[in-house]
Amino acid sequence: MIPKMIDVKHLTKTFRQADHKRDLAGTLRQLVAPKYREIKAVEDVSFSLDRGEFVGYLGPNGAGKSTTIKMLTGLLVPSAGEVLVDGMIPWKQRTQYVARIGAVFGQRSSLWWDLPVIDSLELLQSLYKIPAQRFKSNLAEYRALLQLDEFLGSPVRSLSLGQRMRAELCAALLHDPKLLFLDEPTIGLDVVAKERIRRFVQHINRERETTIILTTHDLSDIERLCKRVIILDHGRILYDGLLQTLVERFEGEHLIRLTLVNSPQLIAFDGLRLVSSDGIQAVYAYDHHSLSGAEALRKLQEKYEVIDFELVRPSVEETIRRIYEEKLLLEPPPGS
Amino acid sequence: MRYIWQLVKNSFRMQATYRTALLAGLLTNLFFGFLRAAVMLALYQGQTSVNGMSIGTAVSYVAVSQGLIAFLTIFGYFDVMRSVYSGDVAADLIRPASLFTTWMGRDIGRSIVNLIVRGVLLMAIFSFFFDVVLPTSLLQWVWIGFSLLLAWGISFCWRFLVNLASFWTPDATGVGRMAFALSQLMCGFILPLRLLPDWFTHLANFTPFPSMMNSPVEIYLGILNGSQLFSAIFAQVLWLGLLYVVCRVVLAAGIKKLVIQGG
Repeated sequence: MIPKMIDVKHLTKTFRQADHKRDLAGTLRQLVAPKYREIKAVEDVSFSLDRGEFVGYLGPNGAGKSTTIKMLTGLLVPSAGEVLVDGMIPWKQRTQYVARIGAVFGQRSSLWWDLPVIDSLELLQSLYKIPAQRFKSNLAEYRALLQLDEFLGSPVRSLSLGQRMRAELCAALLHDPKLLFLDEPTIGLDVVAKERIRRFVQHINRERETTIILTTHDLSDIERLCKRVIILDHGRILYDGLLQTLVERFEGEHLIRLTLVNSPQLIAFDGLRLVSSDGIQAVYAYDHHSLSGAEALRKLQEKYEVIDFELVRPSVEETIRRIYEEKLLLEPPPGS
Repeated sequence: MRYIWQLVKNSFRMQATYRTALLAGLLTNLFFGFLRAAVMLALYQGQTSVNGMSIGTAVSYVAVSQGLIAFLTIFGYFDVMRSVYSGDVAADLIRPASLFTTWMGRDIGRSIVNLIVRGVLLMAIFSFFFDVVLPTSLLQWVWIGFSLLLAWGISFCWRFLVNLASFWTPDATGVGRMAFALSQLMCGFILPLRLLPDWFTHLANFTPFPSMMNSPVEIYLGILNGSQLFSAIFAQVLWLGLLYVVCRVVLAAGIKKLVIQGG
């Protein structure tokens, strides 16, 4: 059996937080004999990743995503549990371990602000001891894929956000890491820049078989890139599986938008719920588990004269939002 | 090793891009240097020598110590703690290099630029207005260079160590201010240690701080010779070794403890 790239078992991180009282006496007492509360940022998280997987790590703010990533990158020591990445324990052999991984944090920069991009890249070459030949070929490849040439000689401070992220990606991958952490790599980018970055990371994942963990709030990133998602909330794993399965299970009603010949009196019938109507425009909703789009349309056409129609599926974003808000995953799945 | 070299090169070039800041720093150092020289002249009140230090030497002491401010970062250094509190330290920790090496490399380049602009240049300008001692023997220059190198190492270790406090407390700027005020006084920057009361000088000699500035300046001025010079250099080597070990131990303990701030 091929060993897993990442094997996480019962990972837990507890933070101690000072228990602040608002009144003066409480504040003074806190100074003399501080009291602490235990906060579980990550609780009993277990999952494993195969080599070459591209997984989305999702969860609302404060779910424990960053804490998990910090433990996986060796920046934080867990309170309990085991982590084995490529046969190593991240925080135990930190310097050897981090030489094999790469990371891009969308909100931080690892480049020298006032120097040309290429200076930062050359520094990384000496830091990771990348052989000159390897460095040259990797750089040439990334230059072409990320179109770096236009700004390789410009100081980082003068780059646009999109350009800077492209440079960051190049910087994170020069040493051929087997595992790449992407933390909000497309945050604040325009659609073109986003697409360019997505295409690049997909290429890296496919061609170099780099295992990638992507944390983001941009679900179009996830939809475009990850088959598998892990959803976290309140420090616990809510879901670990295919995005497709998740969507099929929790997707809300589909909509059918109609343009009619005249403005008849519209009613709900036969599993078709009238959402809104305005003159010759109408919107019906139906449960796609019990009714197909074609059936819904046929039923409507039997009753009304339809000129035009459009089937609308809820976006993945909407589905995920429903899961967070309505705590859908906390209930047992139907039929189990 | 190539990594440090590359770091030094980058930080040197980066520092050199801040031309206005360098010029402003030079002018400030000059202004206060003149002020200190004037105060020194006033303190001597026409005496030619105090505690074996002639008036000319004392003014030269002011010039040299003033020229070393930026090179040795005498007024304090908060870069490492800033990166800890902003969470940027994460970007350094996911690299396969020690935080000590990385920060040292970054500081060397900056220091070299400052030694040239705010050190050599300052001394040159200063000597237009005052009689500044200029060593003539090549051997003495070798000792000066060696001693300055050691002084720089001691200064960096000390500053780095103080910054490591940020691994334990949520705001180490107070600790830093206190520590750097202490080292500023004890290293002989405010007044040459020779001119301070004996009990104070004795006390200071139990700390690494005289090795940080007083010793190289006295070697420059030719006050320390022969065996005195050797024992000063020896003390510098000892302090550097000791501080380096302490830095490593504290850093290792701190990293175990560190919680990266922010998301």
